[in-house]
Amino acid sequence: MQYQMNEFLFAMVLTELEDAVGKENCSTRAIDRVSHSVDYYWLSRMWADRGHRMPEADFVVCPKDATEVSKVLKIANYYKIPVTTWGAGGGTQGGAIPVAGGIVLDTKRMNKIYEVNTEGMYIECGTGAIYKHIEWAANEVGKATMHYPSSLTCSTVGGFLAHRGIGVVSTKYGKIDDMVLKMEVVLPNGDIIETCSAPKHAAGPDLNQIFIGSEGTLGVITKAQIRIFDQPEERRFRGFLFQDMHGAFEASRELLQKFKPSVMRLYDEAETASLIKKIVGVERKGAFMNIAYEGVKEMVEVEEKILLETFKKYGAEDLGSEYGEKWWKEKITFFYPGHMMDIPQMFGTMDTIAPYGKIEEIYWAMKEAIETNFPQAKFIAHFSHWYEWGSMIYDRFIVEGKDVPEDPVEALRLHQAIWTCGVRTALAHGAVVNDHHGVGIKLGRLMKEQYGPAMQVFEGLKKSLDPNGIMNPFKLGL
Amino acid sequence: MIMSEKSKQHVDSCRFCWMCHHICPIGNATGQERNTARARALGISLVNREAIDLSEIMDNIFECSTCGACVHDCVTGWDPVMFTKETRREAALEGKLPDYIMSLVANCLETGNAYGKTTTCDRLTEAIKAHSAKKDTLLLLGVDAKFMVCEQALKAVKVLDKAGVDFTLLENEPASGGQLDFLIGAANETKEQMENCAKTLNEYKTVVVYDPNDSKAIKQLYKEYGVEVNAQVVTYTSFVAGLIKEGKLNTKNSGEAVVFQDPYQLSRDLEETEPAREIIMSYAVLGEMLLNRAETVWAGNILMAQYMPEIVKKVASRRIFNATSVGAKKIVTASVAEYASLKAVAEDVQILSLEDLILGE
Repeated sequence: MQYQMNEFLFAMVLTELEDAVGKENCSTRAIDRVSHSVDYYWLSRMWADRGHRMPEADFVVCPKDATEVSKVLKIANYYKIPVTTWGAGGGTQGGAIPVAGGIVLDTKRMNKIYEVNTEGMYIECGTGAIYKHIEWAANEVGKATMHYPSSLTCSTVGGFLAHRGIGVVSTKYGKIDDMVLKMEVVLPNGDIIETCSAPKHAAGPDLNQIFIGSEGTLGVITKAQIRIFDQPEERRFRGFLFQDMHGAFEASRELLQKFKPSVMRLYDEAETASLIKKIVGVERKGAFMNIAYEGVKEMVEVEEKILLETFKKYGAEDLGSEYGEKWWKEKITFFYPGHMMDIPQMFGTMDTIAPYGKIEEIYWAMKEAIETNFPQAKFIAHFSHWYEWGSMIYDRFIVEGKDVPEDPVEALRLHQAIWTCGVRTALAHGAVVNDHHGVGIKLGRLMKEQYGPAMQVFEGLKKSLDPNGIMNPFKLGL
Repeated sequence: MIMSEKSKQHVDSCRFCWMCHHICPIGNATGQERNTARARALGISLVNREAIDLSEIMDNIFECSTCGACVHDCVTGWDPVMFTKETRREAALEGKLPDYIMSLVANCLETGNAYGKTTTCDRLTEAIKAHSAKKDTLLLLGVDAKFMVCEQALKAVKVLDKAGVDFTLLENEPASGGQLDFLIGAANETKEQMENCAKTLNEYKTVVVYDPNDSKAIKQLYKEYGVEVNAQVVTYTSFVAGLIKEGKLNTKNSGEAVVFQDPYQLSRDLEETEPAREIIMSYAVLGEMLLNRAETVWAGNILMAQYMPEIVKKVASRRIFNATSVGAKKIVTASVAEYASLKAVAEDVQILSLEDLILGE
């Protein structure tokens, strides 16, 4: 038993949870506890790889809707038992790991697609739906969600909402927080609430955005209306090679004042020479950039002209459409074992975001900080989500297996040290703790450094909504 | 646990990979995290690291249908079915099979079928007698049709009769080994059953295999086991599609709209997707579910319904939802197991077999 509870009380709580969600949807079996103890967080994987069991929940419950979630949270509140919400476990920040034991609330039974509305252009679904499933539902009526992260097939709608996920066509269509119209949320006390019927309004602060990104610390999002889009008449790709990244930044900033491509991905020289060479086949020195532009055919023609003219001004070599199409086809291949970094390597993605005036400086500062302080680490990056005002860095450190301590605690210490160094450097140069993977337990300690006294806004919300502190303890720095 | 190096490598890759999370018919139907390839791999990896006992993961190991959707989906080529079946074999060797599986295995060894059945329905018994004379062609019905869905076996016979095919039915059909392969993997007992079956099949020039699960076993698994079959083995669907092409079956398109449920054994394992469609298009108007052909979603079977009936019902219901999502009112099946599973839960849709279409029943 992880959470401090005597045998009698444990049995009592179990019967109440079974009553709430049905006996078959409430488990204390080892396989269920183990399955919910390791997510995509490197430390949890390393821990399991070394033959140790991660902290496990005492109870795994799978409610089917908000009413059942409400019942579970009322029980948890009464007995003051921690509740960690689990989508599909694809998170990288340890946000779904039940580090304090108690209850894991798996949302995947809440996977119903309630409505595919082609007039209001949204799908209403339970947040336990795997995102690919709502993409299929959209495709069945000739539409698309336009949310295509590498984790499309392995993350739930709720998971993306919980940590503010993003997909590869975000530059045109937006992040997950731009994709939501309305949500249903169960508060920690069991009350079921709904946000406004439209996402843009003047009825006070945006309730959606209070819960999006809250990582299960303020409640459980149980239902959402997710935007869908017309399939583009045409989607074209163009690969470019820049001599250096500076030119690419200048060109991209100028391009974004004119129109929004769907895909914009700039790879630094190290990543161009490794991943891009391996998967896409570009074997050239420089910084590879892939651009996709899509929509109504006539507009695509115009956008292509603007793109070519703009990038030419900055000395970009036009590589044609072949590499871009190959990249699109293989965009998820990068993340399969055998193509992706994996244990015994140690690795992490320190994605961050900043305005154009700072982003390049942040990249070089982080690269220097990591490679100077941790000579065993390699630093690679790409820039994959762009705005009129700035861009994000998807920067990764990789330590080869031979340099990773076998002792799990020593490995943990090295991992923590690299992360702290990298993110602190980013913060010092004006970046944000994270762009789209969230905070979880991995970066919680750095939230106060990011926000300073502003953190009291989050703490106040937490204290007010979750006075017993049962919701996803030790995550998000709350 | 003793496990091949190849399986260990696949386990250690899949344990931390989520990419096929969306595709498992059982995981999607139950919403249970354990019903994913990665959770199964994680459990096995922890057994290999002595952090959990094999007995604690065995229920989960038997919750996999081995349909291969995850294998098909994996761009790297990792194979969760391989290590799942290997774990089943090791559990059998270590005496750690769950009791409910052990009884199915015992039935297979005693009677040749997991259900422990020894008699068929009267009408089928009569049909078998009527076709007992030795011919060049054998129609192998399989244990599901013969013992569990007798009316479909009769229809399969009737279609061939209607086309004027001269064929034999066996009173004591040998077990193909497909069920044992599912339950205990590549054990000696499985191979013995396959060798015994091959011996019988080799007495015929042509063997028409009605059950896709047997087709997969004989046409694909026998090669892996090193069991030789000299007879020409054809699936029932391709055989019947051939009969239509030769004009041996009358066709009349009713104009009714149907969708086809591809059995994974045919579409993924044997890469046979079009003969069933050719049959359907001779009698009805074919529509498609979004996930079709090699991307098909398993819709349940009779064997797993013996020990996890509620989950199999959920699987079938979800597949029906896929069909109704594209407006289908009728689903045509080519697998007797899927026919039975879908039929058991169908409310607003009609479940038909290919034989139903051909016979107009």
